[in-house]
Amino acid sequence: MKDKQTKPLQAVLHGMDGRTYKTMVMYFQGPCKGEAVVVEEVDGEVDIVDLDFPSGKSALDKIRSQKMRRPVIVLSREEVSFKDVLYVEKPIHLATILSVLAQARTLIQQQGWSKSFDILPVKTTENPVSVAEKKALGDGVEIKKTAKHKTAMQMDEGSFSAFIGMITEIDFNDKDQLDKAFYSPKNYFQGYVTAAVKVSKEKNRMLQLNSNWKPLLIFPHSHEVWLDADDKQLRAFASLEMNKATGAKLTITAIDPATSAVREKMDKFYDIDAFVWKLAIWTSKGRYPQALDIHRPVFIKHWPNFTRSLITPHALQITALLMRGPRSMLNIVETLNIKPQYVFVFISAAYALGLVGQAERKSDELFEPPPIKTIAKKESKGLLSRILGKLRSSK
Amino acid sequence: MSQYKIIFTGPVGAGKTTAIESISDIPPIKTDAVATDMTKARKAATTVAMDYGIMNLAGGEKIHLYGTPGQERFDFMWDILTIGGIGLILLLDNNRADPFQDMKFFLESFSKFIADTSVAIGVTQMDLSNKPTIADYHSQLQGLGFKPAVFAVDARVKNDVSLLVQALLYSLDPGLKDHE
Ligand SMILES: Nc1nc2c(ncn2[C@@H]2O[C@H](COP(=O)(O)OP(=O)(O)OP(=O)(O)O)[C@@H](O)[C@H]2O)c(=O)[nH]1
Ligand SMILES: [Mg+2]
Repeated sequence: MKDKQTKPLQAVLHGMDGRTYKTMVMYFQGPCKGEAVVVEEVDGEVDIVDLDFPSGKSALDKIRSQKMRRPVIVLSREEVSFKDVLYVEKPIHLATILSVLAQARTLIQQQGWSKSFDILPVKTTENPVSVAEKKALGDGVEIKKTAKHKTAMQMDEGSFSAFIGMITEIDFNDKDQLDKAFYSPKNYFQGYVTAAVKVSKEKNRMLQLNSNWKPLLIFPHSHEVWLDADDKQLRAFASLEMNKATGAKLTITAIDPATSAVREKMDKFYDIDAFVWKLAIWTSKGRYPQALDIHRPVFIKHWPNFTRSLITPHALQITALLMRGPRSMLNIVETLNIKPQYVFVFISAAYALGLVGQAERKSDELFEPPPIKTIAKKESKGLLSRILGKLRSSK
Repeated sequence: MSQYKIIFTGPVGAGKTTAIESISDIPPIKTDAVATDMTKARKAATTVAMDYGIMNLAGGEKIHLYGTPGQERFDFMWDILTIGGIGLILLLDNNRADPFQDMKFFLESFSKFIADTSVAIGVTQMDLSNKPTIADYHSQLQGLGFKPAVFAVDARVKNDVSLLVQALLYSLDPGLKDHE
């Protein structure tokens, strides 16, 4: 009996955007002290619908049109008139939600909830959420989000090499060495992360990637990962070959609620794409992914979201060129007259996000990309370059 | 003396005035008026004629930055505005009811200009509404037959606006040297 009561109520969230979803996850873990936990549809004991989102309304309609299988909690700024749901007025007060969760629990135990029932909306005049709690939740999310979404760093060659620590074993000036200047992402943390992210997205499940280092939490709904490490630590770990490093086993598990540090460290969330992008850069260090052939054309699907990514040297230029049509990495090096390692590191990052691939053409060998035609007719190259120079110099 | 212009467009409140302010060397000339109609609920001031800013280049050249008024009833001016334009920056407010509809509307309205030059798209207010995602925009654009740069942009952040304009310039000519 006791066990049953302490087991968190299994809640399914409906109609919320990524951020609200995540906030609820934290809210249950944090202020609600694990009274409830967010689970997938199939595991749910209770449905929680946020009516203030357009999708919430349709979700509720759908739930109510089905024969109700479990209690429904509705969150809304405006009072709802349905008698068959538990209503929590927004802004949510801790006491209210705890009381409603307890009611849901009782209903489940009574097994009487499948019939329609009459519950008055719970209102409470008890203490609203304390300031500290607020900080740990919504407000905190807002503040930290702004900081996190700070604009991209655009690097020139000098600062970039120092930041990345380009691989030193390869002489990129030696043409013969380029054929061997590859790396295999799957031998590094990068490979495990992209694999785990893939699983998480496919199953639409929050997952945790465990290694002998720090756990990486993946939140597919908000498209974010959480990792309690700074850039320097991540960069160091990224460059370790996994099998060599420790022979450590990496595992993917459900998120361990004990990893409660999440709620204290809201600033450790990263957009999945921005994170994978950066990780690939630190793993590549100027090498290209083994799966790609530097002599054969690669294509790019679309522009990366550069304002929220680390911008490697010449990245915009390489993208613009590839957007005109596939080219081999070596051809890019030649056409733009830039160092191969900068083409390779960019291709590695874009490849990690699935933006770049080998172009499958019937006559690859015959395929020789045309010289770049400029669209700008009247304006001289000089003028456009001067605008660029101006933009880049006044950051 | 020839006039080099970059045109900023997009729906009401997308951040055109703010974006021009971010990269202009002069305090921009705004023609904002107190919003009176449907705009009012959303913001205090809206641009009724156009925005104007300048970037001063080395060598004394000037790039003129023009912003269209967001409200559709002013669209008769757009044709005149684009003459001599280098390219188009389209800003979309992710928090609006149907940003894809906005996108289609502006890409169609400026289709001739875009065909002659190029376009780069900045999605603003993503801090307020993270859906649709940038990936969703790319899927939509694919259907429309466009492949422009699409960046998450906060119009108040100079570097965001700068990167978007840089992408526009490289789209025009990937061979540009970036002064490194
Ligand atoms: N939160 C947030 N606010 C933004 C962002 N970009 C711009 N803004 C703000 O949005 C408001 C509207 O920006 P404006 O520059 O006036 O928009 P506009 O496109 O000129 O609008 P009209 O002239 O009415 O067509 C301003 O208060 C900006 O500071 C963003 O990414 N996030
Ligand atoms: Mg304006």
